[in-house]
Amino acid sequence: MSTLGFSEEQRDCLQEIINVAMGLASDKLARFLNTFVHLQVPSIALVGASHIPAEFENRYQDTEAALVSQGFFGNEGVRGEAIVLYQMENAHKISALLGYEVGDVSEIEMLTDISSILTTTFLNGLADQIENSLSYSAPRVLSSVKGDMSALLKNTSFHWEHALKVDISYQLIDHSFNCDMILLIPGEAVTNIQRILDRILEDY
Amino acid sequence: MALPVLICDDSILARKQVRKSLPESFDAEFQTAGNGLEALSILRSQEIGLVFLDLTMPELDGIGVLEAIKAESIDCFVIVISADIQPEMKKRVMELGALAFIHKPVNEEKLHSILKQYGLI
Repeated sequence: MSTLGFSEEQRDCLQEIINVAMGLASDKLARFLNTFVHLQVPSIALVGASHIPAEFENRYQDTEAALVSQGFFGNEGVRGEAIVLYQMENAHKISALLGYEVGDVSEIEMLTDISSILTTTFLNGLADQIENSLSYSAPRVLSSVKGDMSALLKNTSFHWEHALKVDISYQLIDHSFNCDMILLIPGEAVTNIQRILDRILEDY
Repeated sequence: MALPVLICDDSILARKQVRKSLPESFDAEFQTAGNGLEALSILRSQEIGLVFLDLTMPELDGIGVLEAIKAESIDCFVIVISADIQPEMKKRVMELGALAFIHKPVNEEKLHSILKQYGLI
């Protein structure tokens, strides 16, 4: 993150806000899946959006994957697009847990639900802490066959300048489940976020 | 006499938030720890009356700290302040002997009422 000029204090502040938001999202997810979620500290990094396809190429290259995207906008120029990436192999584990047939049409609906829970709960939690409120567009699902995730990511991320990567790794009681959340944000949003973080830091 | 208090959280912001949420009348001497191992080393070597403990931390998490406190019969009150708010987590924490389980970001009123309940303010 230091590449885009966050100070150590700003990074600590953003990490804590994200941890709290992630805690809310995990609680929602645990209730939805009726299980306990072992929460890990999400690792966050701010990168140029053009680097996103390359960052995820390896992980999603040789696997069936899905991408769920949802736009958000709030006050003070806070806006962007949240995308959640899944390896279908992981998604099938969740389907099984919820009693769906693997490959069922409703599996995509399930992914939309989980993504919505993750992104809207996460982003609402984040917005609450920075005294903002967000609106969302309807989620959009893009499935990918082996190898074309990079192209999908390229098409999704090319309108944006920056991306806040949040690596989420969930360990359910008997299953491990990983997904990646990426928040794509425009250039001016970084300055806005820094201003908001500084305002929070001033309070302490 | 000032109460020796340990605030254990990996986030500097979170430690400051706890400190700021405490009432002015709270007479305490503060120390901080950035993870569970640091907290345990302080708890083993000094008398600490009250610990504010985060759960999700590197090195050793809050559950690990609570288990060690219990196993080693370290005499201190623990108030858990956590971003992990799952009911199951609260249950585990309370079973391990914590006084209270507070959600992050810390709510001042809730914190004050707990401190009052246990005669700490």
